[in-house]
Amino acid sequence: MPGSRDEVVEIVRIANRHNIPIVPRAAGSGLADGAVPLRRGIVVDIKRMCEILEIDEENMTVTVQPGINMLELNKVLAPLDLFYPDDPASYPVSVIGGRIGAGGWSLLGAGYGHVPDLVISMEVVLPTGEVIQVGGGGGKKIRKSSVGFRLKDLFIGHQGTLGITTEATLDLVPRPEAEFPAFFAYDSLADAHRNAYQLSRTGLRTLSGMVMFDERKVEFLRRDDEAWIPLPEDVRAAMAVVCYGAEVEVEAAKNRIFEVVEAGGGRYLGTELSEGDWAARHDRYHLSHHGRRSDGQVVPLSWHCEDAAINHSALLFVNKRWHELVNSYVERYDGMFDNWGMFMYVNNPFKPWGDYLTEIDIGINELDMTPEVWAAWIELKSEIAKVAVEAGGSISACHGGTREGDVEVACRVELAGGQFKLMKQIKRMLDPNNIMNPGKYLLDEAYEEEVK
Amino acid sequence: MTEQLSHKTFYGEAIEPGKPFSPALVRDCYSVFACRHKFCREVCPVYQQGRNEANTAYGFHTAILVISKGIGELADMRGTITNCLECGACELRCPNTLYGGDFYRATTTNIDLVRKVRRDLVAAGIPFEGYEEVKSVVDTDVGYFDDASEDITRWAADLDLPRSGETMLFVDYFDALQTTEVPRLAAKILQAAGVSFGILDHPAPSLGELLDTDLEAFIRYARHNVDELKKAGAKRVIVLNPHDYSYLTRDYPAHVGELPFEAVFITDELERLLDEGKLNFQREEKSRVSYHDPCTLNKICGITDSPRKVLAAIPGVELVDVDPVTQWSYCCGNGNASYRQIHPETSYRIGANRLRQAADLGVEQLIVACPRCKDQFTDVKARSGSPIEPTHILELLARAMGLD
Repeated sequence: MPGSRDEVVEIVRIANRHNIPIVPRAAGSGLADGAVPLRRGIVVDIKRMCEILEIDEENMTVTVQPGINMLELNKVLAPLDLFYPDDPASYPVSVIGGRIGAGGWSLLGAGYGHVPDLVISMEVVLPTGEVIQVGGGGGKKIRKSSVGFRLKDLFIGHQGTLGITTEATLDLVPRPEAEFPAFFAYDSLADAHRNAYQLSRTGLRTLSGMVMFDERKVEFLRRDDEAWIPLPEDVRAAMAVVCYGAEVEVEAAKNRIFEVVEAGGGRYLGTELSEGDWAARHDRYHLSHHGRRSDGQVVPLSWHCEDAAINHSALLFVNKRWHELVNSYVERYDGMFDNWGMFMYVNNPFKPWGDYLTEIDIGINELDMTPEVWAAWIELKSEIAKVAVEAGGSISACHGGTREGDVEVACRVELAGGQFKLMKQIKRMLDPNNIMNPGKYLLDEAYEEEVK
Repeated sequence: MTEQLSHKTFYGEAIEPGKPFSPALVRDCYSVFACRHKFCREVCPVYQQGRNEANTAYGFHTAILVISKGIGELADMRGTITNCLECGACELRCPNTLYGGDFYRATTTNIDLVRKVRRDLVAAGIPFEGYEEVKSVVDTDVGYFDDASEDITRWAADLDLPRSGETMLFVDYFDALQTTEVPRLAAKILQAAGVSFGILDHPAPSLGELLDTDLEAFIRYARHNVDELKKAGAKRVIVLNPHDYSYLTRDYPAHVGELPFEAVFITDELERLLDEGKLNFQREEKSRVSYHDPCTLNKICGITDSPRKVLAAIPGVELVDVDPVTQWSYCCGNGNASYRQIHPETSYRIGANRLRQAADLGVEQLIVACPRCKDQFTDVKARSGSPIEPTHILELLARAMGLD
């Protein structure tokens, strides 16, 4: 657990000199195993580096070390009426460094952008121990520059394969004056899906998030009444929307949203559920106890979230295909897998339309795992990923495609248009000895073949 | 909050090196390990210092699960398992508790796990690090108990308190022998409010340290205290130390059955007296104060309103409040058992951090309702030079009532 950039540099230099693998680790809450070492070596846990280095009120930036958690950061920013709007499901635990390494996604991204949009510049220790500053051109607090290559993006979402971020300057927003969350019920996912499009076409700038719950998800949430504020029986699918902004804008947006939803067949589920569930939005109820066998018996299952970025036009296709796939495995392996339904969150940064983070939650029985079931699980993951690519999407909007089952589809199918080849060339250039998180993203291949 | 008692029975089965683990314990540890949220982390006062994820509820449960799979051994926990204050924040913040606790009877019970592992290490002859410190704390109190001539009621020598009554005041060894002003002020306030009560002549130790080391002794002493209070005619027992209140309402019933009397925490009693108009204030206590929720009271027993109500009623007091949920992540650093003895430096840093949080509010005094918090903050203030004055709520109340 290094305490400073210089200590990180020392560790990296020693590892590079002696060819010892290094795996950077932040909060360890990622769902793509980015921080899980595949070749042993040194785990560099950066959580002790958690200082706020500078708050620049006038230019609305904060410079931090990578180990700080967003909830803790926002506690410090709140008295200044500033807010760092990165809001993942892991908000109370994940830390800035991990958000950068995994290329994180924010629930409010359609309003305020996601991690790649919120990081203005950063300091990165490369696999050789060299320290570089990357950003929009050279200015540490400049959001848009046309100087040089856009190198900052290279160091976001690399899953610890290209370096370790030791400092980041982040974009802040004025603390939103008003927040309006609302939950609406629909007769079907298709109705909610159509209505989401209609909401997008309103052009409301304060609309910062939309989440659809499909029929299976609503059923899952009914499994016990503590996990969900009781819903009337006629609720089949649901959508949550949220507006953030100035009071005057949000008030007007609220009226427009009610109009559009009503015309689209949605029914408001009331203030208690809307505010209560939105406040608890980070606790997505995926407890192991929610697992069930087909006869209704509780069986402790582990939550696996398979996510993809899918265009609005392909959502219903993916919804149907994923359920068919998962249900066929649930039937074949009763008590080993369980279908926990799907969420679809609008995904486009700053604009609530176009493509959606689409996830299917699956319970899997790790306690009774066998090699045969594990092989089936990998096959299922791979098929889920292929459907996403077939639909013109990307196999992950928020976690990364580094797990077994995903990674082959990511590298060999999704990134087949030359991107994976370029990734290998870059990897070999920056990390000549393959010490930084070796084995991830199949990048070992960079050293096995002739890569120019 | 006492209904949130653990329904788990497997903590009674010892983990013995080389023998298989109880499947129920493994499943329980798995249900924490299977969590992808890890909300138990930032809320943990120990984790906040050093930010080592091994020292969290997630870390402990995962370590036990891993050991049950034959990777590592119980002895590997000797150091790690000492890094817990037993404050209960992680249990409250755990999604298993928030969203599945009552329904599945699967509330996360990290304190029970930590105590169990510590006890199992002691029983296996590989005691946890710092065990000698803990043992000396226990031995001192046991020595007082075993010596029938030892007067544990010296603090009350001039107060003329009976040794029986329908209402009894339970004074633990720490209050009786070290922070004697606390029971003295409690007695004076209760007397001024017209409450007649008695005290036990020779109570048994009620130490959290025993839950960490010797459950049989804890149960033996629990029986003694319950029997003596019953013999004294107790229908209500007013408890002064929130640690004791948590043992009496949570651990005593779990181990010796339902109590034959009602246990009432001192601030709840004071709230009742206030409502009945029996607390007569004589002077203004002009002071800007904040209130520190003791972990045992806030996180384990759920008592948060009565101390605030009493404080707000004292003339002249301006209370700058921090809500109890925010205070889940606060602690004075003392811990429920001997954390402070085992980890003096981290304990100090946790305490100094808490006093800084109070200083940021621009208050003069930090009011506590726990003698352990008071003791810890007094030491931390002396070492850190913090301008914040730690004050027990009874001191402030007694001054306002003209009883000091």
